[in-house]
Amino acid sequence: MGLEARRHLVIAGAIWAVASALGIAAVLAVGRILPVVASREAGIVDGAFVLLTAVSVPVLMLVVVGLVYSAIRFRARPGEDGEGDGPPIHGHRALEVGWLVVTLGLVGFLALYGSIGLIEIRGGERHDLRVEATALQWQWRFAYPDLGITSKELVVPVGERIQVTITSRDVVHSFSVPAFGVKMDAVPGRTTTVTVTPTEIGGYGVQCAELCGFGHTRMTADVAVVSAADFEAWVAQQRQAAQP
Amino acid sequence: MSALESLGGGHGSGQHGSSGLDPTAWAAERWRLLLGVRLFILSEVTLFGALFAAYFILRIEAPSWPPLSTLHRPELGLVAANTLILLSSSGTIAWAVGRARADDRRGLVRGLATTLGLGAIFLVIQAWEFIHNGFGLADGVFGSTFYTLTGFHGAHVFGGLVAIGIVLNRARLGLVGREHDTPVEAVSYYWHFVDAVWLTLFLTLYVL
Amino acid sequence: MKLVGAERLTTPGLPRAVLGILIGALIGLVPVGLAAAAGLAISPAHLLLFGYLGGLLGWLTGIGAFRFWIAWALGRPIDPAEEHAAHGRAGDRSRYFRFTTDHKVIGLQYLTTFLGLLFVAGTFALLMRLELAAPGQQLLDRDAYNTIMSTHGTLMIFVALNAIVGGLGNYLVPLMIGARDMAFPKLNALSYWLVPPALLVVLLNPLFGGYDTGWTAYPPLSERANLGQQAFVSGFITLGVSSILSAVNFLVTVAGLRAPGMRISRLPIFVWSLVVTTSIVLLATSVVAAGLTMLLFDRLLGTSFFAPAGGGDPILYQHLFWFYSHPAVYIMAVPAFGAILEVAPVFARKPLFAYPLAVASFIAIGILSFMVWAHHMFVSGMADFLHIPIMVTTELISVPTGIVFLSALGTIWLGRIRFASPMLWVFGFLWCFLIGGVTGVYLADVPTNIYLTDSYFVVAHFHYTIVGGMIFGLFAGIYHWFPKFTGRIFDDGWAKAHFWLFFLGFNATFLPMFAAGIEGMRRRVADYPPELGPLNLWISASAFAIAVSMVVFAVGVVRALRSGPVAAANPWRALTLEWQVSSPPPVENFERPPIVTSGPYDYGAPLPGRSGRVPEPVGARR
Repeated sequence: MGLEARRHLVIAGAIWAVASALGIAAVLAVGRILPVVASREAGIVDGAFVLLTAVSVPVLMLVVVGLVYSAIRFRARPGEDGEGDGPPIHGHRALEVGWLVVTLGLVGFLALYGSIGLIEIRGGERHDLRVEATALQWQWRFAYPDLGITSKELVVPVGERIQVTITSRDVVHSFSVPAFGVKMDAVPGRTTTVTVTPTEIGGYGVQCAELCGFGHTRMTADVAVVSAADFEAWVAQQRQAAQP
Repeated sequence: MSALESLGGGHGSGQHGSSGLDPTAWAAERWRLLLGVRLFILSEVTLFGALFAAYFILRIEAPSWPPLSTLHRPELGLVAANTLILLSSSGTIAWAVGRARADDRRGLVRGLATTLGLGAIFLVIQAWEFIHNGFGLADGVFGSTFYTLTGFHGAHVFGGLVAIGIVLNRARLGLVGREHDTPVEAVSYYWHFVDAVWLTLFLTLYVL
Repeated sequence: MKLVGAERLTTPGLPRAVLGILIGALIGLVPVGLAAAAGLAISPAHLLLFGYLGGLLGWLTGIGAFRFWIAWALGRPIDPAEEHAAHGRAGDRSRYFRFTTDHKVIGLQYLTTFLGLLFVAGTFALLMRLELAAPGQQLLDRDAYNTIMSTHGTLMIFVALNAIVGGLGNYLVPLMIGARDMAFPKLNALSYWLVPPALLVVLLNPLFGGYDTGWTAYPPLSERANLGQQAFVSGFITLGVSSILSAVNFLVTVAGLRAPGMRISRLPIFVWSLVVTTSIVLLATSVVAAGLTMLLFDRLLGTSFFAPAGGGDPILYQHLFWFYSHPAVYIMAVPAFGAILEVAPVFARKPLFAYPLAVASFIAIGILSFMVWAHHMFVSGMADFLHIPIMVTTELISVPTGIVFLSALGTIWLGRIRFASPMLWVFGFLWCFLIGGVTGVYLADVPTNIYLTDSYFVVAHFHYTIVGGMIFGLFAGIYHWFPKFTGRIFDDGWAKAHFWLFFLGFNATFLPMFAAGIEGMRRRVADYPPELGPLNLWISASAFAIAVSMVVFAVGVVRALRSGPVAAANPWRALTLEWQVSSPPPVENFERPPIVTSGPYDYGAPLPGRSGRVPEPVGARR
């Protein structure tokens, strides 16, 4: 490679390295991408977000630095060299192979990380509380089969592993609680399951995340994560309210 | 621009300034037409692939097959005979292709007409079978998959019969022969495909 | 020769085609009438189905699409003069409005039709953004919003699938390989004339009650949707047939009509991209046709493919739909890759970097594209065991896609770059598709996908890949080949204004949508929580910048056609075959078949006795 070419590579490479380092540092400093993390699962999801963003930085910088550097330094200047062609470089075996190896490695790492994350999110079969969520155009209904109560809002005790079985009465809907980092479609004719362990007491929302007709926009419900004591109180309240 | 096209097909040709009678140009044009038919058949393979995939998925998800005790799988005997009829029509069309290459116009016409007849008989017997099946399209996934699969196939048989009829007409008029056998060859590819689909259908819907 | 009066209705052409729609529709309705008379229950759905089929056949008959084949079937000789006339004469403007077999005419028919559709569907998007500019309901009620949103998506998908392949592809492929026309010119014209009725029925869907299911049309919702849903199905399947026929044409053309010396190792990268694209079209399209037909049967015939009550499975539809629709996005993207990689060497004055590897990566993308569809279904309730394998294949597809970037960057690096308007779109593409590709990784990763799916993050991602990818590739191609198509030079000032307004407007509109998605804003909603108001207002305002840029483009086109400077044969000094003939090319493309003696990217190559300039035009004998 000519001296000139090597110089361009070194300078661009240095800019890339610095920009990437700064970017990765910024991402790690912020440390959190999701606006609300209120469950164990959301924590895992947020971790994945941060990793992906950190990994994206050098990829983004590679292309951006390459484009900007080229636009400035390799722009044809009018003049004797302005009409000429660039060097007849058709390829570069080492670069092509290297690029393939690096991208394959990156992809392999991300796939592995994602698989582990997914398995962690799913967790095991064990659960502390069962909730049945039924979707219908255009509202949510929640039932607690072990406690014999129903509700229009989802109230759950903090720290316990909640298994939500989901189904639909009519069309495909989707049970989505962004604060919990969970989403699972509600399909008529079958039940789907999602498990979540809430970790932060507070008020959140469930929204339907699959277009289900004209009322899709309004198909939301309240979610409340409460202490164990408050949960007992709420259950008792629901039981009383249900009695004629 | 080339003169009268014996095929009535495309006039694009890599050899310029030659008439449709130039053997190299004709051979290249024939190759292109047959490749086109083969590629089209490939798209039809994926069409039936999708229909079969739907069948298998729905069948696996059903608690039993047929899912309702009121439904019965169709009788094998008549359908097996019908299958032989259709498969033999593949034989007759292959024979017809050979006759075309040998410039035997009468043999070609006979071969095509026999194929046409066998195909028509197949459809008639199938229609009779459907009437006496005891279940319809709206009978859950069982009826849905059965009639959609056989219906698509039957529509393709019908289309093939129309194509065979057209080639038969041209053969009758003396327009198909050794130097002009591409249409009958092309139609025979399609017809063999239709028969292969039937064989798969027969094994899947009736036997398995 | 202008036709007057009754002649217009008896000669194959547009007036007769319109009459054909009416007559055909009426004929199509005869079986429905007979069924009604016989006491069978009929519904508006039957009327639409049979009316559409009859009208479609009537339209095609009227335009004269079938007359050669009918003559052939009846054993009548084909009049060579009529065949020649169907190819069209140079300078005869009316050939663009008739059944013309010249691939260049067909290419421009596709291009103008789908650019027009881009404007229409874009207007729908503006209506959506007007509604979304503030929380609460502004001007569209929920019914209207869902139909407009669904129609916008559907029409834009049609544009993305057809503009480059049908427009640029039809025009350029025969020229680039040194052929006179496509392998099956009449079939090519038929492919085009199938398009207007399909577009019309989808455009008219509000008249049938609209449909509120998005372009994805998931059952059971789509089984209960209004009749507009059926209009959608009819149009989609018609376009599917058109594209399968096109695919056969492209593949046979490249396989069998290459000029002497045009080895496949010398094929321009744009041609390669279309070979891969049309292969995908050939294999995948029938699957969605099957799925949509099953949907139609469920609606019309009482079948139970997707109806749980009869044992059907809604998720089966999703598998069938996405088995096509994921490869479909590569039908949209790969031609754009081809266009970008075709343009970059010309304006960097440098060979295409890693050309064989780029070809291999197109092929790898084509194959892998069939193995990733279920990443649209991670939260659908599909079988658990599918998630990890599909995540792996989806992540894997970013490897060959990355090669496209290597090839583009490698071409640009150390080049002598001229920033004529086509090159601006190349750079714009590389930025936008980078964002689209990187955000795709978030969607490939299952944990993050769970959070992001059905949010505005997805909307941003696919706009960055489809608009940022396909549209930028389309405009790079349009500006690059504009002199060749029209014989005029597009004013550089207007071109640059279009680019910058579009690029900045596009990024201003869609970059914030990633944030909206992370904030939890769902897609396909007519309203949102008030705190997302300012973000949405910014997005809506920026969308109008895109609209303004498209007006600039339209004005620029008109100015160029009316009074632009006349273009030479090869204003960009490019090396591919289409530039070695006049602008526009002669009707026959080449007087004699060109003899190809080198690859298309030999920029900078010093020739014996020459000082590193453009090689001699092909076709010249030494």
